Amino acid sequence: MKLIFKLAWRNVLRNRRRTLLSGFAVGITLASLIFIDGLYTGMLESMIRTATDSFLGQGQIHAEGFRDTFEIESTINSSEEILRSLGSEDLIEGFSPRTVSPAMLSSAAGVNSVLLYGIDPELEKDISIIDEAVRKGEYISSEGLNQIMIGSKIAETLEVGPGDRLVLTIAQAATGELSQDLFRVKGIFKLDIREVDSGMAFIHIKKSRDLIGLGQATHEIALRFNDIAVAGDRSVGLWKEYSQGGNEAVGWRDLIPQLDGVIDMTELSTVITSSLVFCIVAVIIMHALFMSLYERMFEFGILRAVGTRPLNMALIILLEAASLSFISILFGLALGFLVMQIFTIYGINYKGIEFAGVTITELIYPVMNLKQFTIFPALIMIFSLVAAIYPAVFAARLTPAQAMQRSI
Amino acid sequence: MSEELIKADEVSKIYRTGDIEVQALHALSLVIGKGEFTAIAGPSGSGKTTLLNIMSGLDIPTTGRAFLSGRQISGMRGSELSDFRRDHIGFIFQSYNLIPVLTVKENIEYIMLLQGVSDKERSSRVAAILKDVELEGMESRIPNQLSGGQQQRVAVARAMVTEPDIILADEPTANLDSSTGAALLDMMRELNERKNMTFLFSTHDTMIMERAKRLVMLKDGQVARDETRE
Repeated sequence: MKLIFKLAWRNVLRNRRRTLLSGFAVGITLASLIFIDGLYTGMLESMIRTATDSFLGQGQIHAEGFRDTFEIESTINSSEEILRSLGSEDLIEGFSPRTVSPAMLSSAAGVNSVLLYGIDPELEKDISIIDEAVRKGEYISSEGLNQIMIGSKIAETLEVGPGDRLVLTIAQAATGELSQDLFRVKGIFKLDIREVDSGMAFIHIKKSRDLIGLGQATHEIALRFNDIAVAGDRSVGLWKEYSQGGNEAVGWRDLIPQLDGVIDMTELSTVITSSLVFCIVAVIIMHALFMSLYERMFEFGILRAVGTRPLNMALIILLEAASLSFISILFGLALGFLVMQIFTIYGINYKGIEFAGVTITELIYPVMNLKQFTIFPALIMIFSLVAAIYPAVFAARLTPAQAMQRSI
Repeated sequence: MSEELIKADEVSKIYRTGDIEVQALHALSLVIGKGEFTAIAGPSGSGKTTLLNIMSGLDIPTTGRAFLSGRQISGMRGSELSDFRRDHIGFIFQSYNLIPVLTVKENIEYIMLLQGVSDKERSSRVAAILKDVELEGMESRIPNQLSGGQQQRVAVARAMVTEPDIILADEPTANLDSSTGAALLDMMRELNERKNMTFLFSTHDTMIMERAKRLVMLKDGQVARDETRE
């Protein structure tokens, strides 16, 4: 066996130019695969982060059915108890209670229907980046009960700026009667998400509860986890624990099903891309092996003539494939690591592109993970060996007389 | 005649290429005895290559049987045939005899490794055979660092090191100059006499024919003449 391995390894190194070219070709495909997977992962992480960090939160708790109807009387059962309990959850980094109701904003220049969120200004900072998205004016304060923060598109429609007054009209939960109040624009935000910038407004939760007549009730509790992966894991016990008593707790996968679909699509794309890449690898390896085999036909004849068994002939070819694959993998890993390092530093600019309802707002940085540097190379090795089966069988079936037609 | 070693019994071989049939051997019978130094000669197309192929188990006869050391080699297949060749036959080809990526020592011990001979035994046999073929000190060289004559000597060493029943040599001097070829032949003849090792050549070379103790001339796939010189 040692001799067979020695023979195979030296044969691979025999035609260095061909080995180098084949190794280069396979290595580039491996590096491409590593980069594509890293890019997909980075893009998805960015999209998830953009979608969850902007305002949505990584998870939410509502009354059952609220997400479908947005009925203002549909509030979370035992919300105060739930808020107290969330404070002691190890998985949870932060949470923020909200009220959600449709409302109408009027200025001297016009009217704009909005989805009005009542928020706790301090707790909300831990959940969303709405405070960082203020472009004009300031973020609403804990004391300013009559302050309102509106999206940039709303400000354009209503032709208002910080300090200007707006009339808010909203329906009461219990009676459906309309109540109105005067607010001063405290800040104008821009999240670069069309629906948010043109249709959302924020006031203090105490004020919204008063206006809607909710008492201490809450429509929504937005959650932030220590690890976003946990928030995307439907099997985590926390969802079940808080989905009781008429409430439902869901992670971002259920809050943004289209993003979940994108993940499935991306995974499928990776599988298809990988399959194609592995097929290319198989063809390259098979081609290299056959080239080498035909070139050494007489030599194979000698090996068979002097008593090398068919199985050992096949083994020589398989070990040559493994050796070639090993060289290719080393090259591919080095190249893949280098390319990933470069783009991890500089990123790729897809800013402004909207995909699955999420606008990419930051540079995309490819993400390196263990799979790329273990599973992919292992699959390259496996595919190489599978590709080598045909030439190996060919070599095993060679008769010495066939192989040495030029001699005995 | 000495003890029977190889026997071709009514061996015929027909090659088919599409609709074309070429009969290389016509019910040929031949016996080679142990310790012989025999040359099979004849013009191109006379069937000497085919005969050697069949007698060494490298090819299968269309009809008839071939025996080596009392066993029907023409009926063996696969690993059984590989092992039989490994243990009973030494081969010397006219060129590209050696595995280019292996050193002289590794080329010589290749068959012993297949046989599972121990390290110590291999080293001792390699040292002895290198002395016999006058290539001491060249163990670590690779074939392309040797002259054509030296490469053929290594091939002889590889063929002999396992002490097979017979050594089959196909035009072993074809790619050598006359003095190197003569020296190689003299060395093989000397080994034949000293160790009683059986040699069977296929050749056009008059040098081999002159040195052979027995000359078998083939014509049109049949034995045309069979003469013993001693």
